[in-house]
Amino acid sequence: MKRYIYTFSILLALLTISSCNKLDLNYNPVQPVTVPSNQRLPSIQANLAYSLYSQARFAAYHSYYVTSRTGNSNAQTDTWNYNNINRMGAWRWHYFDVGSNISGPAGMLLRASEDGDNNYTGVGKIMLALSFLSATDVFGDMPYEEAYNGTFNPKYDSQERIYQGVEILLDEGILELKNVSPLARSMNSSVDLIYGGDYNKWIALAEGIRARMKLHTANFKNGYQDVINAVNLALANFDDALFRYPSKSDLNFEKNLWGEARPNPEWQFADIRNDLVNSLPTDVFMKAMTVDATTNSYDPRLYKLTTPGVNRKYLGAKMSEGLRDVSLPSGTVYQDFANLYNGYWTADSSMYPYMVKEELYFIKAEALYHTNDKQGAYSAYKLGVETNLRRLGVEEGQIINFLGSNKLAQSIEKLTIADIMMQKWVALYLQAETWVDIRRYGYSNVAYPDLYYPRYALAEWGGRYIQRFVYDPQTEYVYNPKEIERLGAGSRDWVFKPLWWAENSTLKN
Amino acid sequence: MLNMRKYLLFSIALGVTIPGYSFAKKSSLSNNSDALIKAYFHLKSIQNSISGLVSDNSGPISGVTVRVVETGVSVSTDTNGKYSINAAIGNTLRFTSIGYDPVDVKVVNVVTNVQLKVIDNSLDEVVVTALGIERNKKNLTYSVQTVTGDDLRASNQGNILNGLQGKIAGAQISSSGGSPGLPTEIILRGSSSLTGDNQPLMIVDGIRVNNSSSNGTVNRIADINPEDIEDISILKGAAAAALYGIDAASGAIVITTKKGKAGVMQIGGSYKAFVETMGRLPSQQTIYTTGTGGTYDESSGSSWGRKFRYDETIYNNVQRFFQTALTHDANLNINGGSEILQYYMSGGYRKAGSMVPNTSQDKISFLMKGTAKLSSKTSVTASANYVENDIQEGLGGASAGGWINSILTYPLRYDILEYQKPNGEPLYSYIESEDDGRNARISPMWGVMRNPRNNNVNRFIVNGSVDYKATDWLKLNYRLGQDWTSSKYRTVTTPGTPGSYFEGFVSESNSNSKFITSTFNATVQKKILDDFNLSLILGANSDYYESAGVGYQGEGFLVPDIFSPNVIERDGIILSESLSRRQRYAIYGDLSFSYKNLLTIGMTGRNDWTSTLSPQHRQFYSPSYSGSFTFSELISPEDWFGKLRVSYAKVGKDAPIYRTNTNLRQVATVGGGFVVDATGGNPNLRPERTSEFEIGTELGFWNRRLNIDFTYYKRESIDMIMTPRVPLPSGYVIMTFNAGSLWNRGIEASVNIIPVKNDNITWSSTLNAWKNTSKMTQFAGDIVRFPYTNAQLTVGKAASALDEHVLGISGTDYKRTEEGYVVVDANGYPVIDATEKTIGNREPEFNIGWLNKINYKGFNLSFMWDFRFGGDILNASRQRMMSTGTGYDVGQWRDKEFVFNGVVAQEDGSYVKNEKPVVLNYSFFANNYYQVGTNFVEKINWARVRYITLGYTLPSSLASKFGLNRLGLEFSAQNPFIITNYSGGDPEVNSAGPNAGGAGGASTMGVDNGAIPLPRAFSFGLNIGL
Repeated sequence: MKRYIYTFSILLALLTISSCNKLDLNYNPVQPVTVPSNQRLPSIQANLAYSLYSQARFAAYHSYYVTSRTGNSNAQTDTWNYNNINRMGAWRWHYFDVGSNISGPAGMLLRASEDGDNNYTGVGKIMLALSFLSATDVFGDMPYEEAYNGTFNPKYDSQERIYQGVEILLDEGILELKNVSPLARSMNSSVDLIYGGDYNKWIALAEGIRARMKLHTANFKNGYQDVINAVNLALANFDDALFRYPSKSDLNFEKNLWGEARPNPEWQFADIRNDLVNSLPTDVFMKAMTVDATTNSYDPRLYKLTTPGVNRKYLGAKMSEGLRDVSLPSGTVYQDFANLYNGYWTADSSMYPYMVKEELYFIKAEALYHTNDKQGAYSAYKLGVETNLRRLGVEEGQIINFLGSNKLAQSIEKLTIADIMMQKWVALYLQAETWVDIRRYGYSNVAYPDLYYPRYALAEWGGRYIQRFVYDPQTEYVYNPKEIERLGAGSRDWVFKPLWWAENSTLKN
Repeated sequence: MLNMRKYLLFSIALGVTIPGYSFAKKSSLSNNSDALIKAYFHLKSIQNSISGLVSDNSGPISGVTVRVVETGVSVSTDTNGKYSINAAIGNTLRFTSIGYDPVDVKVVNVVTNVQLKVIDNSLDEVVVTALGIERNKKNLTYSVQTVTGDDLRASNQGNILNGLQGKIAGAQISSSGGSPGLPTEIILRGSSSLTGDNQPLMIVDGIRVNNSSSNGTVNRIADINPEDIEDISILKGAAAAALYGIDAASGAIVITTKKGKAGVMQIGGSYKAFVETMGRLPSQQTIYTTGTGGTYDESSGSSWGRKFRYDETIYNNVQRFFQTALTHDANLNINGGSEILQYYMSGGYRKAGSMVPNTSQDKISFLMKGTAKLSSKTSVTASANYVENDIQEGLGGASAGGWINSILTYPLRYDILEYQKPNGEPLYSYIESEDDGRNARISPMWGVMRNPRNNNVNRFIVNGSVDYKATDWLKLNYRLGQDWTSSKYRTVTTPGTPGSYFEGFVSESNSNSKFITSTFNATVQKKILDDFNLSLILGANSDYYESAGVGYQGEGFLVPDIFSPNVIERDGIILSESLSRRQRYAIYGDLSFSYKNLLTIGMTGRNDWTSTLSPQHRQFYSPSYSGSFTFSELISPEDWFGKLRVSYAKVGKDAPIYRTNTNLRQVATVGGGFVVDATGGNPNLRPERTSEFEIGTELGFWNRRLNIDFTYYKRESIDMIMTPRVPLPSGYVIMTFNAGSLWNRGIEASVNIIPVKNDNITWSSTLNAWKNTSKMTQFAGDIVRFPYTNAQLTVGKAASALDEHVLGISGTDYKRTEEGYVVVDANGYPVIDATEKTIGNREPEFNIGWLNKINYKGFNLSFMWDFRFGGDILNASRQRMMSTGTGYDVGQWRDKEFVFNGVVAQEDGSYVKNEKPVVLNYSFFANNYYQVGTNFVEKINWARVRYITLGYTLPSSLASKFGLNRLGLEFSAQNPFIITNYSGGDPEVNSAGPNAGGAGGASTMGVDNGAIPLPRAFSFGLNIGL
């Protein structure tokens, strides 16, 4: 009897003793909480490429580069109906995959500042600026001041406010990079996959981003001089900001998202996966590429941006109609079109552009054009075209031929805004920035002579052109109904409401 | 401590076999081996005809079963209460009859008369309550429902939870479909959390067991062999489960396994064979072939093309896909012992085929259990249960449903059975010339046959307890148990499969998880002043959970026919390790007072400490108060029984593991490095609280041949903990937070009646009826409508909205006038209203389960009806079939002229009836019809037979010819028949299962997203006794 009581007392005592300190185990022992910034930067750069792609994934259709093959089949790209999607991947890529990893509660900036690695702070801020700029250009108003402060219903800031924030981020980033601490952690090419730790190139990119941003508002803010200043600063040191993928890899996550493998890496959403396999080049694209229709002579870049279709023909399909386009020759099959894959920007191993040099030339051309410096505009325009021809690896002879062809304005007097904008359109093939240009010009035929209203856009839209993306339906509409209500983002035609710089634009029509 | 624990567990596991065995050996003079020897000799010993009269205090009773325990021979008493049976002197006769206490009598005389005592039918029985405490049902102060092992087995379901369907008032049980490896969800008294697990705590013989369904596979309670179950107590309310404190919020299922009984060794065996065929299937159109917008297009996977030509074959792919399969199930158990040592051993093997090709289940289970009386005061019980459960699953995981969507939408011009060439290469049904197959179309059969998913589980549940009776009023008990599960989940994508993993892909996760429960109880039971009874339990409990896993995934097989990481390039393999841990401690007390049989009051209190919350929030207290008043004691208690019970309890719930801080994780991108984990930490989490009020009554009439149990409850969940997707500007994708409050309230009624009971026939009928309603009363922040991550389908979402039903459906409707007429535009088409609103409630309005058992001589028949009234289904399967053009209604309505029943707005603001005919073309369907949620919400009723089981026990004279004591035959049908207004397949749907991955799976009950309909099965069984 005594023995049992003794045994039980021991067991009870053991139980009580063992309870001390055993409750402090709610931390994951096999995952880190923080790592040095050099282990954060590469994935942020990879994610920024994904993020820019996620915007271009739909913007490429809204910019009339490509259209769905079957026509009237894709709600977002053919009928401009965003009402039935569950997730808007572009929202997540900006706020979480890029933004939170830079400046969220567990972001790189925190550790960089603790460690005194102000070079990482600088690069981080410039990347964040680019991410915010490209995101607000598809979404409009969105949280900026209250982002990452823990609230689930942050205030949505006006796009104007976000633009101010982007400029501050650029200034702060440049300042850090101009004063990199000698004790800061090194940044080499295995960490900085864009510039291999060349801070001057980052500063130039920052100026390039500034020029891009200022161009959006210059027309109604009388800001062309600022654009020209920024673009000149940028061009002085500029090198293309490109995210590179390995030339050969079997891995999903080592492929360009526009590639033929249609990669679907972790956390990619179905609607983000590229659909070029079911898409065709548009008639707008083919007209832009045609130098002389009677002789079937094309811009040499056609063979670089696309690969030949099976039937080696180069037809173009009407936006939203695809093969349904009745103006196509009867019996047309998809093989009568160029193959969209394995072009310069659409191979598994293609680079993904943050910003390319020709964009700067076209920004300069447009700004000078509107400030009546036609001479300067013309030479920037020519430089832009030539830079792009060289990038795409067009042969020297063809470059000279094409530069002298009637596809381009051959004199200062003949230079029109359409010449500049259409050549920029070609140079920025599939990039979301083109959609900004088109919306700034209100889809006008002055700047884009071949645009038209798509046949299968729903009658309900009343002939209006698409202007923006919806916010992520799965989160923003659930947690922040008051802000959504205030903005009016709950209505079926929200995506037809122009953004701030489009609303105020003086360039429309 | 840990070593000590291991040692204890080890010795418990061994304790069943070695010490048990040696006990038997040591005491060779023990009754046990004596009895064994006797049993064998008795078979040959002299048989006499024993006869007698069986009566109760009002006279002879007919239909009493008289059974010779040693031989199993049995007869029934005749109309005069007389019987005659062959038995030997010294044998034991067992007299049993419904409504009476069973009596065992040792034969000393050839005439043996017996008097039976009427029992209070179900109410006088002892029921197992929280912490395994046995209580007299008469004095119970809260509602507990019990299901016997026999009733469970009559349903012939491999998964225990499926076997409980309809047998518990207030339990909503829904399976995710009819293919191996799909989980089943049980919810008692409504959902109390919007994400995460709403299921009750699962207890087997006093220890907590694993019922997770990670990776969307089967819920792990299904590992337990139904053959081993003695009974199951369902503690529905918070008061009943209050002693479980932290786990009590969703109730508890307390399973007791069979144990050895003193007496002659009994050997039983059974074999069953099942034939499984497809149940109710959705229908498709058979008119149109592939294309889009009405135009034929071979490249399109949609069936919106032209009409089939007469010379084209149309394949009924849904029918062709499913097959008829065979399942074998064999069991053997041995049971016996002496006064000081009792044992039970069983083994089961199940090899289950499935109507889904290339899916199967192989399950082996062993259970050994022994109880030894070490002294007059001390006894030890130990058990060990081993289960191996290997499941090969079919299509897809369970995270978002959709198992057969690919079959439902596969164009009917292709034969679904053509998927590979004779050499095993993929045979694409459509491929473009410049494609290597990556973007090709292939029959879904390819995925089923060539990309299997395997779930292999090895599981040990060991359990030991020591009881010490210190004095006649003080008992001490210590119990230590561990449920250890080793699980492997592997998926393979064969090279050549269209999609991102064209070069092949393999992913495997291996994990070992364990629950270690350690409980100490001291029980004081004392009579004071004759009429007062005091019972006090004091105890302490430790509950530790750990799951350690290693997994890998890799893509691109260098050798295409070996599916192993060994043939994947080294830098293409991603390895990961996981380790989660949780520790909880509790101390508790239970005090109850009763006065005669008239009045009982009870009080419990429990204080919990948990590791999953921050130090300032980690402890909380859960009290309960309850009382019962047996008013029938006041007015002629012999004639009837009447009791009123009232209870109130407040319990808490902690957070999921590791949700209080944020980690980084390694990422697979060019350059690599670390990124913020999608799940962010929240150090401010508070415990979730649930309070519940319950009032009920139990009534018994006519010698307890009619019993009624009625309960009303209201349960409030406050500061509900959720882990959903959160706004991305917060910096995270998923986060755990205290999200709001809700209540559930409902009624439960259980009526048991024995309408016929005479010499030959006994008919017992039980009706369970229940209704639950719920309401969201508060949301954190500005949320007013909350859709669940795993059930957001194109047109509707499983969602909860403020001040509305918790299990709602959100979506769009057509624009309507104030009177409710649909507004039609000038072109004749109805106008869509963009506002998301509640368009359905997935909770049934009323449920009835009706179980009947009829015994006639050697025959027994039991069947279970299940009725459901109301409650909506979000039929996303139909939406998907409509949008791809294979839906039945497309065939019925496409290109037909139609006048919408609605009104057209006039310029003066008035409305006139729409009379404009329109053509229902592709654009209408695509841009109007299937963008409107209300078109895919259906209010469902059903009447179904869950099972019919007919058994026949051969007369013992016949059985003995085969050398058997007992030989029974059984024919059974599961899910044989259903009447329902549902337009899809089987209306029992639950797209993501109980516990789906991603951001936690809220209940997706009532969401049909490619659900595999439940099969219809027929079985034949044989059982023997030695």
